[in-house]
Amino acid sequence: MIPSSAAPSPAVPARGADARDSADPRRVLADRVEQLYSQMPLGIVATLAIGGIATYELWDQRTRELVLFWWGLVLLIAAARAALYLGYRSSKDKLAEAGQWLRWLGISALANGVNWGFAGAVFFPSHTDEQQVFLAFLLAGIASAGIPTYAASWPMFAIYAGAIVLPFTYVLATFGNRLFSEIALLVPLFYLTNVGIAYRLNQVFYSGYRLRHAYNRLTKDYSALNTQLEQQIEDLLEARQEVEASGRKLALFAERAPISVIELDPNSTILEMNPAAEHMLGYPAFELIGRSALHSLFPPDENTLTPAWWAGFVADKAPVARVRARCLRRDGLEISCEFTLTPLVNDTGDLLSIIVQCQDITQQLEAERLKKEFTSTLSHELRTPLTSIIGALQLIESGATGEVNGEIAELVSVAARNAQRLLDLINDILDIDKIESGKFTLAPEDLALDELVRESLILNKSFAERFNVGLQVRGELGAALVHADRKRLMQVLTNLLSNAAKFSPVQSTVEVRMQQASGTVRVEVSDRGPGIPENFRDRMFMRFAQADSTVTRQKGGTGLGLAISKRLVEMMGGRIGFEDRDGGGSTFYFELPLRRLTLAATK
Amino acid sequence: MPDTPLNKVCYVEDDEDIQRIVRMSLERIGKMQVEIVADPTAAIDAILAFQPDLVLLDWMMPILDGPALFRRMRERPELRSLPVVFITAKASQRELDELRKMGAAGVLSKPFSPKDLPEQLRTIWRALA
Repeated sequence: MIPSSAAPSPAVPARGADARDSADPRRVLADRVEQLYSQMPLGIVATLAIGGIATYELWDQRTRELVLFWWGLVLLIAAARAALYLGYRSSKDKLAEAGQWLRWLGISALANGVNWGFAGAVFFPSHTDEQQVFLAFLLAGIASAGIPTYAASWPMFAIYAGAIVLPFTYVLATFGNRLFSEIALLVPLFYLTNVGIAYRLNQVFYSGYRLRHAYNRLTKDYSALNTQLEQQIEDLLEARQEVEASGRKLALFAERAPISVIELDPNSTILEMNPAAEHMLGYPAFELIGRSALHSLFPPDENTLTPAWWAGFVADKAPVARVRARCLRRDGLEISCEFTLTPLVNDTGDLLSIIVQCQDITQQLEAERLKKEFTSTLSHELRTPLTSIIGALQLIESGATGEVNGEIAELVSVAARNAQRLLDLINDILDIDKIESGKFTLAPEDLALDELVRESLILNKSFAERFNVGLQVRGELGAALVHADRKRLMQVLTNLLSNAAKFSPVQSTVEVRMQQASGTVRVEVSDRGPGIPENFRDRMFMRFAQADSTVTRQKGGTGLGLAISKRLVEMMGGRIGFEDRDGGGSTFYFELPLRRLTLAATK
Repeated sequence: MPDTPLNKVCYVEDDEDIQRIVRMSLERIGKMQVEIVADPTAAIDAILAFQPDLVLLDWMMPILDGPALFRRMRERPELRSLPVVFITAKASQRELDELRKMGAAGVLSKPFSPKDLPEQLRTIWRALA
């Protein structure tokens, strides 16, 4: 309807402010001012037209100057109002300056009214009866025209109409004519009635404004909601696309995975399975989907994945890894499987479904069984004949069967040595197998390391003598108590001493030293051998690591000794290593935590 | 009994070669009297007949293995206090502990040294005193 919608931009405040207040008084005021100003051009034109007619009608020689003066006032006021109108139209901030514009308009309305009032007061007494009637009609019409013109502000109408009516009433009352006096009584009533009507009209305008604002606000809210909704729909669509994409990815993962993936509901009903699961179980998916996994996939005597176990799992809702159970294929074949079960639980803790990953480990178990069997066979079946061979050779060497001399004795000793080597190899392989499969247990005890070192020198003396090498303690062996496995620590010492002896030059001496420092004790075995080749250093403690295989053939050894020693020392909480020795050769050492700083104090 | 020197030993073993070596070791080096039993099911009768100071049992034997025979011997009141030493090629720590708990006087591992065997048995024998 109205001008404010024609120039909406400055009248529209921020959405937030609008939402807080459905009819912001400042905005209502601005709208009213806008409404009042929109009537101005018509009012100015009408004033000029009516003023022109009045000037023409009232023109006579007696009052010529006065009428011209009045006409001049009409033109002046019209010009001022036009200027005011243009000023308002070009205003930048109609909302903030609404009060100011309203005041100016009030002044202009007052000026306008006063001018008409002036016309009534001045021209009524001085003109003829007909002209008086004309003036009365003119003033009544002009005053009444103010009602719609100033409908947006009843006080403005009251000022305007009052300015017209007041002087006129006064003139009528003081005219000295009874009829005019009576009319003078009626005019204020007429005025008051008009003000009342203007007031009522004003109220209607107000509610109209408020309604319009409420409507605008609703429309704005609605369009804001619409925008939000559109954004949400867009987001949802995007999210759906993402979900679909990741769903396709997941489906692809499951489909191409080499391990079986089965989805179960909490009752163990099969919901979905991948091709690997079909292949493993020998069923097409459609035959199994909808059936209970517990009752369809396991042999009747399966005692791991039982209904009771399942009930516990469903109650716990905790992931379970590496459960082993036997499965029954469609063709009746039993396979051994390893299961990983992952429950899918939502935010509220409800179990939605269970993702089961499963691998056929029948062959793996068979391989493990064969390996175990092989280890056991190695242990027993190889040792039994060796027992006889070594025993027989030892009996011959001991002279229990009579004296043996010369080449026979030499050959017997070759046979005995190699039988022993074979036995060492078997023992080492068994040791490393046990260590690596975690089945190796130590029997640690508190023991005096210095005594153990002395003992090891005695035990390995004869072995070293075969290489024409001596074993010797260097410096003082301080008393040192360690917590270790006596037999296995002796094995480590023997390994280090025999290695040193094997690689030492003839007639040299292997030196053993013990040192204590900050809670650890270190045993060093030093030789004058060729040292460790550069390219071999990082493989030193690996299995079957031998720098030069010809040495093995010449001097024996399995290539497992250091690998076993390293693991043993580490199992006892220590470490093993080697370094070059000043003046040539190598030093191998191991360190163990001290049980107490010195044993001497407790002795 | 342990206050007298170890003299009579009964060895239950199915492997003939090892039988021979043990016999030679104990008789020639250890100067002991040795009775060899090849069939573990006949062992109890042989032991009752021979009346040894100590019984040496192989672990792995067909039909009746060392530990099973040992259990049977424990069921016989007249053999209950007879010292028994196992000789085995497959001794895991757990199995050794189990045997000692059952009352074995000692456990020797295969391969043994025939030179040292008599002395090892005498050490066990003296420890029983």
